Amino acid sequence: MHVLMMSVYAAMAAVVLAAVDPKSNTTRQRFLHGLKIFGSFLGIGLLLSWILFPIPW
Amino acid sequence: MQPRDALTENLATHFNDRTISFDEPRQFPLARRTAAVIAAWLVPGAGHLVLGKNGRALLFFITIAGAFALGLVLSGHLYWPTPDPASTVGFDLITVLWFFTQVGSGLCYIISYLLGLGTASIPQAAASPTFEYGNTFMILAGLLNYLVVYDAFDIAAGRKR
Repeated sequence: MHVLMMSVYAAMAAVVLAAVDPKSNTTRQRFLHGLKIFGSFLGIGLLLSWILFPIPW
Repeated sequence: MQPRDALTENLATHFNDRTISFDEPRQFPLARRTAAVIAAWLVPGAGHLVLGKNGRALLFFITIAGAFALGLVLSGHLYWPTPDPASTVGFDLITVLWFFTQVGSGLCYIISYLLGLGTASIPQAAASPTFEYGNTFMILAGLLNYLVVYDAFDIAAGRKR
């Protein structure tokens, strides 16, 4: 459930952040930028959960 | 005047340099700029629609209104600044902060509030296992719409396409 919610959250954030990116001029550039944001959200989220998992509180 | 057969200069290079772009950033009139910013806050994507960016408008509407609706379905709570005499500002700061983030989604927040959606008391709403997910999605919707409002303003001011 949590990973699913995180993925939906990442997808929604990535779509908007990529669409408002002032450095991307073409649809292809925006799409690639969105993929990077989506991957970063998921990657950093999983990394943080892996680091924080052993902490008991 | 030179006869056509005597022309030796390659005119094609001159014409190639004179390409006209129809999609250059341009400043919109003040009334349209103002309308775009207000519309962008009220309805996600409406500001871009006012500026003729129909594709982006649809994308923003689906994403932001979708995030807000998903938050409501997941039992999120609509926050309103709660008076707190013990606080130095007279309000519970976390409710002020969360209200500010959620109200960014404009009419999504206002209509839901008027219809009584997401207005159950916090202990009652928090009984749902998806309460925190719901809050997170509604906060996401509001914050993303603030970005979209800024984007509409930038386009209207001629700072970007």
